[in-house]
Amino acid sequence: MMGAMVALLCISWPAWTEQIDSTDPAALTDRGLALAQGGQADQAEKLWRRALEAAPDYFPALFNLGYMHFSAGRFGEARRHLARAAEASPSDFNAHYLLGVAEQELGRGDEALRSWRKALDLRPDRFQLMQIMAVEYGKGRYHREAADIAMRALRLRPEAEDLYYMAVHACREAGDLGAGLEIAARAAKRYPASARANFEFAWHLQKDGRFEEALPYLRKAIELDPSYEEPHFFFGDWLVKQARYDEALEPLGRAVALRPDYMPARIARARAMMGLGKWAEAVDALNEAVRLAPRHPQPHLMLSQVHFRLRDRATARKEKELSLRLRRQNPALLEAVQSRPFPD
Amino acid sequence: MQSESLLPLLLAALVPGGLLAQGVASPNALPVKAREASGLPWDAGFVDVAREAGLDLAFTYGAEDEKRFIIESNGSGVAFLDYDGDSKLDVFLVNGSRLEGFPDGNAPTSRLYRNVGDGSFVDETSGSSLGRSGWGSAVCAGDYDNDGQLDVFVAYWGKDALFRNGGDGGFLETAEAAGVAGSADQWSSGCTFVDYDRDGLLDLLVSQYQRFDPETAPPPGKTSNCEWKGMPVYCGPRGLPYGNVTLYRNLGDGSFVDVSEKAGVRDVRDYYAFTAVAADFDGDGWQDIYIACDSTPSILFLNNGDGTFTDYATETGVAFNEHGFEQGGMGVGVGDFDGDGWLDLVKTNFADDYPNLYRSNDGVFFEDICVRAGLASNPQYVGWGVDFADLDNDGWQDIFQVNGHVYPKLDRQTKIAESYVQRNLVYRNIEGERFEDVSALAGPALRQARSSRGAAFGDFDDDGDVDVLVMNMAERVSLLRNDLPQGRNWVRLTLRGTSSNRAAIGAKVTIEAGGLSQTRAVMSQSSYVSHNDLRVHFGLGAADRIEKVVVRWPTGEEEFFPGIASRRGWLLTEGSGDAVAIP
Repeated sequence: MMGAMVALLCISWPAWTEQIDSTDPAALTDRGLALAQGGQADQAEKLWRRALEAAPDYFPALFNLGYMHFSAGRFGEARRHLARAAEASPSDFNAHYLLGVAEQELGRGDEALRSWRKALDLRPDRFQLMQIMAVEYGKGRYHREAADIAMRALRLRPEAEDLYYMAVHACREAGDLGAGLEIAARAAKRYPASARANFEFAWHLQKDGRFEEALPYLRKAIELDPSYEEPHFFFGDWLVKQARYDEALEPLGRAVALRPDYMPARIARARAMMGLGKWAEAVDALNEAVRLAPRHPQPHLMLSQVHFRLRDRATARKEKELSLRLRRQNPALLEAVQSRPFPD
Repeated sequence: MQSESLLPLLLAALVPGGLLAQGVASPNALPVKAREASGLPWDAGFVDVAREAGLDLAFTYGAEDEKRFIIESNGSGVAFLDYDGDSKLDVFLVNGSRLEGFPDGNAPTSRLYRNVGDGSFVDETSGSSLGRSGWGSAVCAGDYDNDGQLDVFVAYWGKDALFRNGGDGGFLETAEAAGVAGSADQWSSGCTFVDYDRDGLLDLLVSQYQRFDPETAPPPGKTSNCEWKGMPVYCGPRGLPYGNVTLYRNLGDGSFVDVSEKAGVRDVRDYYAFTAVAADFDGDGWQDIYIACDSTPSILFLNNGDGTFTDYATETGVAFNEHGFEQGGMGVGVGDFDGDGWLDLVKTNFADDYPNLYRSNDGVFFEDICVRAGLASNPQYVGWGVDFADLDNDGWQDIFQVNGHVYPKLDRQTKIAESYVQRNLVYRNIEGERFEDVSALAGPALRQARSSRGAAFGDFDDDGDVDVLVMNMAERVSLLRNDLPQGRNWVRLTLRGTSSNRAAIGAKVTIEAGGLSQTRAVMSQSSYVSHNDLRVHFGLGAADRIEKVVVRWPTGEEEFFPGIASRRGWLLTEGSGDAVAIP
């Protein structure tokens, strides 16, 4: 671990000398670095601390200490030194970046993003950092900010296919379907052989009320990658919503076959069976869903509806109560989390 | 000195954030744009005539700029009712209060306005005894003593009020004596008169939103239940004590008895209940009750026919949305939008969600077809009052929905793209297949943005089209006059029970005209905690007469009436077999 650290250390590197001026922070820091390179981390730390006694704001010593602790997984200590390093040298990209990573490791996502924002101000071309930030913004439910930075990354690297999907996803989470549609259209045009690109474009066209236009892209996505379950589910679910239950069974069956734990597809398939009055098949499908995900409330909810239709009110009630109980135990399964703006 | 190496940047795996508790249910629904516009003409245009009509109440409901507690945000219902029996629709407006109170004699009160008949109203509150102050929420009307005069029940945070109509323009508040006042610490939020046991007497169901005490309720921002999109807001409903449902049986001597336990309505627990609607949903001749619930599953009490109810909302598909998500349910409209004779439901919900359009397939099972039907294009609104109403008299029931957010400070920030004041919505019914947003074509009133709550539907000016009365938070009431050109035919039916309760609440009316079958229910409450015109309005399109009328009375008996001419009102008296023209 120290080897990796040393390879990344960032200070100037004067010739080794046995004569160290104990009050010269540069000399102490350099000597510490040499010790660290030799695997003597404890000795290195002592010298860096001495350097800080001599010059409390001496950036190289602060950064090296911070990075050493970071590499050793001591993120609290790392954060303390890196924060001082970033303060001592506000124009240092790595200090801000690494401080952000330490904050992230400590579960302080907002602080991480604040540090990364400063880092990005210093190096506005770091699209990889933008990707990381987009993910972190998303985890914090700051979907608007995630979309903005994902789109910024895409503007920097329009040749990076993954960035299109990241931006599309972030825009969707932010509720910005207009921007999502525009990016998805560009992706579909640029990557016509990509199942993902075709699917994303189809998804957005449907949300835009243009399902007839979406259909060729959806079909193409399925043709390009028959093992990609999302287009099958999306198509089948749309057919269910249009009460075209008979047609829906085939794509939904494929989605389930491709991804047996794909609960929304299983639920939509059961709904199609119910729409067709195929009660016994619906019960079988839902029981299979229960077998795969016994703690998911939705199959039990649907089972309560099927049994009610079959006039078995006792079983219907039992399934309902189980569904309600599981819902309370697993609220995240049937709830969406609100987006929010990043707190400045 | 600068560091020189860029540290390796690894893209973290995309991991969904853990679910935080939220004060209100949120499916985070994205808009689904409607198909291309139909291009059909739309003639119903609404103009707000409240000021010239003399409806001058500006509602009071908590602080105007910042709501510290949920009690300040939910607003109240309104009513179109003929309290003086002159066949003209009068107006009753339920008002609220403020937590800091008012100096003696200055508290705002609910208001009663008499319809003069020339398009204007006169404030008759002072002589009516309806001018009670306090945190009023819901209103429902019915003739519980069968004396031919409409009585009024008003739900409050605090003890509820039952106003018995004396027939002389005055009311007598009799809740305590009648046994329906409830307790001082309850927050009643919905009510409906309903003859659940078919004895010809209107019973009363009251829904309680929650038990609320500002002394113990947490302050804004205290927990994750007190945050909305990162903004500290008042807490709840989640995290606050649940309400319940109370059913009072009418003993026929002016008093009621609480039968909640015996009737099974207390078997449901842990709900935040709002608007209650009663009708015979499953067609068995017994009155059922649907209650829109906020951030908890909604309730459908099916009447077992033996004095008890069982909640079958989950089993019948009206507890959740189509994906099984709980929703922030507010208002409910009941109608038969597709003309198949079964009563369907439209329910409004909190923001970032669609309304529900629960189509009844056979009275047993409902299907939420909101997306398919084209109602998923406006999830940015917090929906409240809503109902099916044939606004353009083409024979198909359209949808009118009033909206308004709950956090006033939304209008003083820029980060969240939502506002406290919102436009209302009109959806045209295209032959029972789908709906089309025609708000932009529906007149100047639909361009107004307010934070609205209750809405009542009725033809206040008797010109043959349905008008809308709307409660607006901290603003004057809206009276949205429908200025529909006179091209299409219509008919208005007044039902009078004899064996059934006199106001015929709970009756279901089906007509056949112009090749269409239409069904309506007579209800004591719908929309959002409001009371509609009890007269039943049917648009007939080009048909100039109704070929057949079938009334299923609240007793469960069915009665046929002969064909009647359009463009006027008719009185249908139970057991008479004949419709009588109303002058």
